[in-house]
Amino acid sequence: MAPLLRCLLPLLLPPALALALGPAAVGRTRRPLALEALGEAEELAEELWDAGLPGDLPELEPECRRLLVAFAEGSAALTGCLGRRARPVRLCQACHRHYRRLLAQYGNIARAVGNSSESHNCAKSILTSDRLQIVVTLSEFFNETWEAANCANCLKNSSEGLSNSTVEFLDLFNKSLTCFEHNLQGQTIYLSPSNYTEVCKNCNETYKMLNDLYNNLQRMNRQGGESGHSAHLCIDVEDAMNITRKLWSRTFNCSVPCSDTVPVIAVSSFILFLPIVFYLSSFLHSKQKKRILILPKRIQSNASLVNIQEKYS
Amino acid sequence: MANVAKKVSWSGRDRDDDDDERVGETTPLLNGTGPGAAAGTRQLTPSSFLRIGQLSNVDLNEDVRELETELPRQYPNEIPHNEKLLSLKYESLDYDNSENQLFLEEERRINHTAFRTVEIKRWVICAMIGILTGLIACFIDIVVENLAGLKYRVVKGNIDKFTEKGGLSFSLLLWATLNASVVMVGSVIVAFIEPVAAGSGIPQIKCYLNGVKIPHVVRLKTLVIKVCGVILSVVGGLAVGKEGPMIHSGAVIAAGISQGRSTSLKRDFKIFEYFRRDTEKRDFVSAGAAAGVSAAFGAPVGGVLFSLEEGASFWNQFLTWRIFFASMISTFTLNSVLSVYHGNAWDLSSPGLINFGRFDNEKMGYTIQEIPIFIFMGVVGGILGALFNALNYWLTMFRIRYIHRPCLQVVEAMLVAAVTATVGFVMIYCSRDCQPIQGSTVAYPLQLFCADGEYNSMATAFFNTPEKSVVNLFHDPPGSYNPMTLGMFTLMYFFLACWTYGLTVSAGVFIPSLLIGAAWGRLFGISLSYLTKGSIWADPGKYALMGAAAQLGGIVRMTLSLTVIMMEATGNVTYGFPIMLVLMTAKIVGDYFVEGLYDMHIQLQSVPFLHWEAPVTSHSLTAREVMSTPVTCLRRIERVGTVVDILSDTSSNHNGFPVVESNPDATQVAGLRGLILRSQLIVLLKHKVFVERANLSLVQRRLKLKDFRDAYPRFPPIQSIHVSQDERECMIDLSEFMNPSPYTVPQEASLPRVFKLFRALGLRHLVVVDNRNEVVGMVTRKDLARYRLGKEGLEELSLAQT
Repeated sequence: MAPLLRCLLPLLLPPALALALGPAAVGRTRRPLALEALGEAEELAEELWDAGLPGDLPELEPECRRLLVAFAEGSAALTGCLGRRARPVRLCQACHRHYRRLLAQYGNIARAVGNSSESHNCAKSILTSDRLQIVVTLSEFFNETWEAANCANCLKNSSEGLSNSTVEFLDLFNKSLTCFEHNLQGQTIYLSPSNYTEVCKNCNETYKMLNDLYNNLQRMNRQGGESGHSAHLCIDVEDAMNITRKLWSRTFNCSVPCSDTVPVIAVSSFILFLPIVFYLSSFLHSKQKKRILILPKRIQSNASLVNIQEKYS
Repeated sequence: MANVAKKVSWSGRDRDDDDDERVGETTPLLNGTGPGAAAGTRQLTPSSFLRIGQLSNVDLNEDVRELETELPRQYPNEIPHNEKLLSLKYESLDYDNSENQLFLEEERRINHTAFRTVEIKRWVICAMIGILTGLIACFIDIVVENLAGLKYRVVKGNIDKFTEKGGLSFSLLLWATLNASVVMVGSVIVAFIEPVAAGSGIPQIKCYLNGVKIPHVVRLKTLVIKVCGVILSVVGGLAVGKEGPMIHSGAVIAAGISQGRSTSLKRDFKIFEYFRRDTEKRDFVSAGAAAGVSAAFGAPVGGVLFSLEEGASFWNQFLTWRIFFASMISTFTLNSVLSVYHGNAWDLSSPGLINFGRFDNEKMGYTIQEIPIFIFMGVVGGILGALFNALNYWLTMFRIRYIHRPCLQVVEAMLVAAVTATVGFVMIYCSRDCQPIQGSTVAYPLQLFCADGEYNSMATAFFNTPEKSVVNLFHDPPGSYNPMTLGMFTLMYFFLACWTYGLTVSAGVFIPSLLIGAAWGRLFGISLSYLTKGSIWADPGKYALMGAAAQLGGIVRMTLSLTVIMMEATGNVTYGFPIMLVLMTAKIVGDYFVEGLYDMHIQLQSVPFLHWEAPVTSHSLTAREVMSTPVTCLRRIERVGTVVDILSDTSSNHNGFPVVESNPDATQVAGLRGLILRSQLIVLLKHKVFVERANLSLVQRRLKLKDFRDAYPRFPPIQSIHVSQDERECMIDLSEFMNPSPYTVPQEASLPRVFKLFRALGLRHLVVVDNRNEVVGMVTRKDLARYRLGKEGLEELSLAQT
């Protein structure tokens, strides 16, 4: 039990530490530094364990340990990034580097086909030697999140950096936000709900462009999306558009559709009136279809008829 | 089975031959029509008795016939159409095999291996039926999907454009015009080219399998019109589905393939000639109907059971196994072709035209406490179904009486299409139920007055093909629909669907029923979760499914097959129990008010349909009262002129003629020797098989069974056969062509007894003989079908020309 714990603890520790230390110790602008600090803390813990316990049981290869630590650091960084970028959603833009690095690190561990037998051992001892398989679980969690966010959609094919269309969209998005901000100067939002005509007038063009671009992206995605993955755009773009649309049509109340109720009522009541005319006229003018009765050739005994009537009258 | 029945009739005859004391018993039998009919028997005057004696004797007697023809004039002979009529238009199929000498010769000639080939051919035909039915279903599905997609994209683009600028009334006009014009094409081809292709086709196939020959029902032309018509009516946005017509299409395919030729195309492939008779064809048609159900719902077992429940009166396990084979092939073909079409070949994920989607997550499970709720839903479904049927009954009656001209029918269909579009538009226009577009799977999200990034939730229900709406109602997450939206939708769609069924377009009622039921079921589920403060088990999708089952069960009143179809379409066997309960309840409740939609339409069409049993209170009626008399008999060696005259007589369009011993003395009655059909006589006349000619030319080819099969199923009318004056004097010998052992019953056999014999053996003619084996009367399908159990007891329908 003890060696198992010893193996597991370093694994569990970094994310926990990261979470614990995150808000307090990690400054907003000095992330690399924070990471270093994390690494140090982790090594410290490790040394503590090493010192405190006898190394009589087969220990993890140093090479494997190095890989494991790298993975731990990577996942901590990715977790932090995801958490920080949860709202407003900027996952794909901000965290794709972390994610790629983590993928590489996991790949290093899992690569069984490497020529060195060492790495093969690493895969075995890290990934599959216990019930919990925390490394696999973590990696699966990140992969699933990434899939769900559909980030691949706004990254380049080699997933190095954002794709051109996404960059274009985000530029336009920023532009329209700036426009909103610019036109709202001096007014507080929610102060005078009817007083947004300025915004609506000035930013209409940008908004329209943004909207069109989004619709275009969506259409292209749907056409290309036949081959497996879903028809969603990546979550960053979707969320950005959502926010803008909400601002535009809910907060600013800019998109006021022309509701021409009178012509619609007129046309629809005309159409609804037609069947009544049709049925009435066919009732009045159409000749009712008559059936010619054929008298069957039967014994005219009346017995059966009487039978029927008598019995049930 | 056949042996037993034959025994019954033979024993009857034997008894008559044996004891002569039975002769005296005719009198008490006639009087004793039942203990309850004492008053009736007293009215039986001796004079009427005398007449019976005269009539039952000889029918070739000319003055007797004159006496008959004078009678109808006393009665008012024109009445408006009502449901208590039997139409003369419909004839029976010959399910009974005519075991004449030609048949025996052929059987002797064909050896054992040849019969094995016949068996293999049956399997080949079933496989082909399955494949072709599946392909037709694919064709319909793909074309509908593309055309409807095109239509909705055009209308959506238009609406989106006019929402900004104003002028939505133009969008409404565009939508209504598009619908109406598409439906117009669909209705024109049905009304003017093949009226039998109207409706779902299930009543027609049901009648065909019951043994009624509906004119044109299994022709290639009908298939083409049916397929095009159903595509056009679904694309035209009517409240219809494409599943019902699949059953008809499958049946036509089966009838066509099994004959190995097409009379419409005048092509004979010279294969499967053995199957050219009603018996074989009808078996294949039941396989085709099953394949159609199977392709429509992805339910092969349901298809087999549908054929069993609705159709085949004659059933054996080998036939069942073959039908099952055809169904499986059909759904598999559809599945593989559609998965290739959708780009994921080998996936096999679309087994039917409608796919209810998967119901296997834990939220969709049900607990035992919910079962009373389901039963309650069954009651609601039964009541709503009965309401639907009652409304449709009045509407259909009105249509038969007043809207019988094809152009009026087309106009009506167009109006319904336009109104459907208008109602949809107005509902969408008035709805303020907006749902976020993110994460939803709406095919054509219509924004209209919703905020950007949201869609109108009423539009998912109306602005979509009905199949998709059903699936949305089953599977959209809780909260996708406002209760108000669902309520309005149910109400509107109920009336639209009711109005639509019975139009002159080919369209089914399955999907609209499912949709109505799914809508109110979901509403029910939502209100349930309000009442129970959001219990986890009250998932609206599950209730939508139960509502759909209840509504469909309440309308069509199918039991076993519908349960299995629903079970297979959901792919969840554990739903079998609640679905069964729901359908049972719906049927019981619905039957209390009014009968099922298909039975109602069969009745309104005045089809002589034989149910499983005779009316329960009819034991006091005897064959003597049921039968038609006098019977036109032929002598064994008959003058050609007489035969031609009898066949050309338009007032008595008989199809079967008892053959009696040729006796030079016309006054003496002769015993029954056999039965010959009109079709056989026509073939005989066409080939001029006369006694004199046989004597003249020895080289004349002997007629074979093949000659009769080649003429099947469209025997030429008698008018097209030219018989010269000299030939009229020739004689024709019927003895080797007639069926020498027709089924007979004695006069005193009760109606249920006659009925059972008739129904179980699929007879067309049943000869009534007296105890000297003399022909007294003839019982045909219409004689039996006219007795029906109505609201006030036993009713008698009257015959009418339609």
